[in-house]
Amino acid sequence: MSLLKPNRWLLYALLIFFAFLALLPLWSCVVTALKSSKEVILSTPVTPPMYPTLGPLAQALEYLKRPLLNSLVLVGAGTIVSSFFGSILGYVFSKRKIRGCGVGFVLIVLCLYIPPQVQLIPMVRVMSNLGLHGNLGALVLLYMVFGIPMCAFIFKTLYDEIPDSYTNAAKVDGAGTWTIYRRIILPLSVIPFVVASLLQVTIIWNDYIWGLVLTTGMDNLPVTVAMANLKGSFVAEWNLQMSGALWIAVPTLVIFILLGKYIIRGYSGK
Amino acid sequence: MKLPKMVGLNPKRKEKLLTALIVLPPLLSVFFFFYCFSGWNFFISLTDWEGFLPTQNLVGLRNYASLFHDPLFWTSLQNNLLLIVVFVPGVIVIGLFLAILLDRKVRGEGVFRTIYLLPFALSFVVTAALWAWMYSPRVGTINVILEKVGLGFLRANWITDPNIVLYCIIAALIWQFAGYSAIIFLAGIRSIPVSQIRAAQVDGARTFTLYRRIVLPQLRPSFVTAFIIFMCFALKAFDFIWVLNRGGPGYSSHILGIAMYKETFGFDRFAYGASYATVILMLSLVIVVPFLWRVYRKDRP
Repeated sequence: MSLLKPNRWLLYALLIFFAFLALLPLWSCVVTALKSSKEVILSTPVTPPMYPTLGPLAQALEYLKRPLLNSLVLVGAGTIVSSFFGSILGYVFSKRKIRGCGVGFVLIVLCLYIPPQVQLIPMVRVMSNLGLHGNLGALVLLYMVFGIPMCAFIFKTLYDEIPDSYTNAAKVDGAGTWTIYRRIILPLSVIPFVVASLLQVTIIWNDYIWGLVLTTGMDNLPVTVAMANLKGSFVAEWNLQMSGALWIAVPTLVIFILLGKYIIRGYSGK
Repeated sequence: MKLPKMVGLNPKRKEKLLTALIVLPPLLSVFFFFYCFSGWNFFISLTDWEGFLPTQNLVGLRNYASLFHDPLFWTSLQNNLLLIVVFVPGVIVIGLFLAILLDRKVRGEGVFRTIYLLPFALSFVVTAALWAWMYSPRVGTINVILEKVGLGFLRANWITDPNIVLYCIIAALIWQFAGYSAIIFLAGIRSIPVSQIRAAQVDGARTFTLYRRIVLPQLRPSFVTAFIIFMCFALKAFDFIWVLNRGGPGYSSHILGIAMYKETFGFDRFAYGASYATVILMLSLVIVVPFLWRVYRKDRP
């Protein structure tokens, strides 16, 4: 056993080293966000603040207040609608094998790999025709639909774990498609809903390109776009930039820390 | 009481109608936003449409011809290939390594796994800000740390140096995705039957041999999954680089996604931008379609 010991030491040393690498930029962000502009210049980017201040965080919040609210609206609307439809489609793909289901499902999965670049121009066109271009409404509509493929995929994979005998037994008793969905599938859907909606929340919250292309004016920007603007206009004020980054990062970090196992379920199956 | 039947609404039909009413709206909107848009984008690439002007004339493949004569297209493609060639194997190897470390019956495995996954929780806008700070030449984290530990000679201009900017970006992206890669491989390792690993151990296989002979060959599906996901990401990548430095300095980190965005929304050359987008789509399909074909062919009745 004494031979194994150095191995274990090396193992933990490596694990800690990688943890250090993973955390270093975050650490540097947090300590810098808590420093005054003067202290940023006088101290190193990794030393904790000697005179911690909430000034930059407050200033960044003032700037990002409205965009944070906008993103919250997007997350709410997009997550609810796309996980609801995702659940129904997942059920149909998993338990009601209608003709064409196989092809339909593959086409849904393929959507996950279609690069957004091919959708940008048509989307801008459609949204201007609908009079929504520049508006938050354009993004609300978009996220309601864009989450559906991923949600359908997640629900289908998780519903596949429910034995067909459950639904078949109900079918024999004469229950219709939607009675089975309501009475049998939905009560077993708590975890699928948690997995799908957490994924949607983080994806919509973090998304950038659609807000960049479709919205204008502070009242409509999602928080990522506002943050990118902040980064552009306060180039040398690192404490302000890191504070802004922190406001956007905290919600998803909290989700990953507290509910990471559901996120992992969603991502490791893909 | 025969009336409802006469109208043709027997329960079976009613249910079918209901199913169609519930399932079709989401299916059709997805179809519209993904497939119709892809087709529409291709159509636009065959026109001379510029910006929001109403005039649109079909010009055939002229945009693609100009694309192939555009040095900027080749620069972007070359940069994009470099991104793929370094990023994809890099994130796969590091992810696999992390997964193997985590699989060694580690105390606090959950804590390490969560820490490795944290960068993946962040928006590219956030990570671009974090890495701009890391790489900042004068006061940035990396240069300051190098100075402090006596490696000052390694100081560099990082993202303002056109020769290494792309590698700096790749390093940051690997940082962001390594944890994701690790959970793909960890799930793969955990799905290998324990009995096989036990059997090899009984036969006296050393750890290294065990991984090379038993574990790695069975991780094929994980390798394929990771490869597809990261390839597709590298082809459509945009956010991180755009926020970090707009594809600069000069054109040194200009990739296809950046070029598409700039042509379209910077110079209002919509049709030309659409042809860039089509190239990105085609490259992605070349990678994804064979994969989906293989995975789902056997599912068909």
